Amino acid sequence: MWLPAAFIGVFFVGPIIAVAVRSFFDPAPGFGNYAEVLFSGIYLQVIWNTLGTALIVTFLCLLIAYPLAYVMAKAKGSMLAVMTSIVVVSLWTSVVIRSYAWMVIFQRRGVLNNLLTSTGLTDGAINFLPGAIAVNVGMVHIMLPFMVLPILSNMRSIDTSLLTAASVMGANPWLSFYKVFLPLSFPGISAGSALVFMMSLGFFVTPALLGGPRHLMVAVLIEQQANRMLNWGMASALATVLLLITVVLYLLYLRVVRYAGGGAQYGR
Amino acid sequence: MAKRGGKLVMEQVQKRYHKTVALHPTSLDIEPGEFFSLIGPSGSGKTTLLGTVAGFVPPTGGRIEMDGVNLAMLPPYQRNIGMVFQNYALFPHMSVFDNVAFPLRLRKLGVAAVEERTRKMLATVRLPDFGHRMPSQLSGGQQQRVALARAAVYGPRMLLMDEPLGALDKNLREELQYEIKAFHRQIDATVLYVTHDQEEAATMSDRLAIMNAGRIVQHGTPRHLYEHPTNAFVASFLGTANLIAVIGKPESGEAEVRVPTANAGLLKAINTIGQGAMSEASVICVRPESIRIETGEQAKVCANSNRMAGKILDATYTAGTFRYQVQVGTETEAPVAVRLPSVRQSDMLPRGTNVSLVWPASATLLIRKD
Amino acid sequence: MDADTATWLPIRYRASNKLLVLLAWLILLFLITPQFVIVPLSFSSEAYLSFPPAGWSTKWYGSFANSPDWGRAAINSLAIGLPTALLSMILGTMASLAVSRGGITRQSLVAALMVAPMMLPHIILAIGLYPIMLWFKLLTSYAGVIIAHTVVGIPLVFITVNSALSRHSGSLELAAMTLGAGPWQSFWKVTFPLIRPGILIGGILAFASSFDELMLALFLTGVGTQTLPRLIWLQMNDYLTPTIAAAASLIFLVTLGLLVAVSILQTRSGAEKANAHG
Repeated sequence: MWLPAAFIGVFFVGPIIAVAVRSFFDPAPGFGNYAEVLFSGIYLQVIWNTLGTALIVTFLCLLIAYPLAYVMAKAKGSMLAVMTSIVVVSLWTSVVIRSYAWMVIFQRRGVLNNLLTSTGLTDGAINFLPGAIAVNVGMVHIMLPFMVLPILSNMRSIDTSLLTAASVMGANPWLSFYKVFLPLSFPGISAGSALVFMMSLGFFVTPALLGGPRHLMVAVLIEQQANRMLNWGMASALATVLLLITVVLYLLYLRVVRYAGGGAQYGR
Repeated sequence: MAKRGGKLVMEQVQKRYHKTVALHPTSLDIEPGEFFSLIGPSGSGKTTLLGTVAGFVPPTGGRIEMDGVNLAMLPPYQRNIGMVFQNYALFPHMSVFDNVAFPLRLRKLGVAAVEERTRKMLATVRLPDFGHRMPSQLSGGQQQRVALARAAVYGPRMLLMDEPLGALDKNLREELQYEIKAFHRQIDATVLYVTHDQEEAATMSDRLAIMNAGRIVQHGTPRHLYEHPTNAFVASFLGTANLIAVIGKPESGEAEVRVPTANAGLLKAINTIGQGAMSEASVICVRPESIRIETGEQAKVCANSNRMAGKILDATYTAGTFRYQVQVGTETEAPVAVRLPSVRQSDMLPRGTNVSLVWPASATLLIRKD
Repeated sequence: MDADTATWLPIRYRASNKLLVLLAWLILLFLITPQFVIVPLSFSSEAYLSFPPAGWSTKWYGSFANSPDWGRAAINSLAIGLPTALLSMILGTMASLAVSRGGITRQSLVAALMVAPMMLPHIILAIGLYPIMLWFKLLTSYAGVIIAHTVVGIPLVFITVNSALSRHSGSLELAAMTLGAGPWQSFWKVTFPLIRPGILIGGILAFASSFDELMLALFLTGVGTQTLPRLIWLQMNDYLTPTIAAAASLIFLVTLGLLVAVSILQTRSGAEKANAHG
């Protein structure tokens, strides 16, 4: 056990601590970086934007994933196999590739614009890129499997005899869904939402490719600060903020998963 | 014919986990070739005790010796003991043959020897053609037999069994009890058997020990334990016991009880068991089959028997026996259970009949409460 | 109880069930389509994907095959992915065994820690590891990024092996010990055969995650050691030629192949595991 622990300790915990420490020392000791974050407005705006986008993405994912999970939970045999493989293939296709695909679709001369102009829905091409719509759609697309899987796993474990009991007692299908099934699926919803929210916060590729300077998200900003502006102190500070938020969410997620009996499945 | 098998000596073996004592200092001797059972409720320490012999539970004190060898120094894989688990623990990725051959191959026996001994053992458990099958293809009873074969094939001097029949249904259990007993007769080993089912232990064992709360309460042959329990716990654990509370201290063979008797609230108890039964905390124990029921007028008080008045609460018939629950004393008293072979009486007595319960003084056991 | 086959159910419930299923398929279509946009693009004769495509050509694949950069990136991705998978398998299995069978206190805490690298954004780890790798002089070398990818790969193996371990009770190892097998023998002959599929699946997942990983590769590799995702990313920022689409299609195919391998392994080990996770 000590070998993996040492490995993780040195190469995972260590760097994280190093980041946090650095945020307080680079370029000068003190809270300077954090002060700048709080008061300069730009950084704060990016953080708010990140939080907002993550929220929107999580919400949309939930809305879309829930019905899909519901249908999959009741599916059997070959239909289930096909559905599952589609979800799984989406999950494991590289984020870079998927974001590139959305770039292609949203391009000025891309698929979507071609469709819109040729069917006469719009007069000219719309500039989707860079833009909030493109980022949100892209992220929802990528996060969807991560929302579907925990919810699906939870739904599968719901005892159908409870629904039978409800209908025997006089509840019509809508009611037994609303009063029995839905509450029972909350652990899956929470686990999936926490997971997607956590991942959306730290997301890099899609916002970088599809969003522009006006829609910066934290991870993109950190990369800019580190690589292009060589402002490692600020990068560390932003990373630490992101880290703190993520850790809190992770702990919440663990709580939920434990109460759900560990039913949530992990994504990538 | 002298049986060969390991002789186990345990002295003051104890196990403590931080603050909890799982096993108080316990001593026990098991003779070679014996079939010895440990029984008791869950948490009584019987599995812990078994674990110390197997080597999974390192004792925090005491000595364990098998045939003179101190086991404390040896890890489980060097003790040459066989063990059968409740969930069989057959290796799912190996065939039945490979499972049974596993310990032989570990000991680097030649291919021919392995083949021969495995086949012989499979025949002994009456599964001679099952060698190529996988464990998942066998029924519960068959799996348990394979587990037995595997545990004994390398000739260990001691076989440990941890509630091996717990996962089986009643009929299967009875069938396998017989098989295990027959198996024991065929191999030369001592068996230490753990179960919570007292009937099972009583039918199979030469001797048994009852455990409670980390201690051995009493040990001896099944019959001895049944007829001479040292305390109320043992009495009620084995079979059914009618326990009647005693007021005060019994004196010269007579005990005062709360329940009205024909002898002005006194019961003659000449059978005192164990030290301390003549103290304050004692109780009277009468077995249901010792009691006779009389209807009709009150007879005289006999010198050698005890008599009590009561009313029949419930009467059932089960396979040749009448079982009565008789209310004695006030309604708050526990009813007395009586068991009578149906050949003795032609009609079962209905509810509400007023009866007298009679039983010999010698069947009145005076025992400790705890 | 299947609501849509119950005949006593009024029409509107049955209809809404059918609508739900239709909706589900639409969503699935949404999920799968974008990936498949890339493939036609990689075959199109011009630089933009139009609908219907203007012409077909394989010139982008040609340019991919001929480019030394792409070739080297592909080799790098392999050279990094395979050792990552191997290391992750070893360390992840060790950790999993220790947590499941080793009687460690606070199991859930250790387990959470072992899984954490998967949950935390890679960017944080990337900028944390950069100075460390700099200090060890491992920057732009294979070793640095292999280590980083292993950190992220261990959780995957940990989870799959855990799942495999939990399906077989610990009494199997106890039984092996009473039969005379020492700890090492008991592991090799009893535990290992049973968790082998789990280890393998975890390893494949670790490889796939390394093959696709961008963030850590971005920071820790250099021009000579860069992986496919890094090259794609750099190219995407400069010029968007469909050569990228060709590269992407190939990566997609590789991923598909890996997934097929995983599902074959899964069905062979027989258990009912949900989706791709071990």
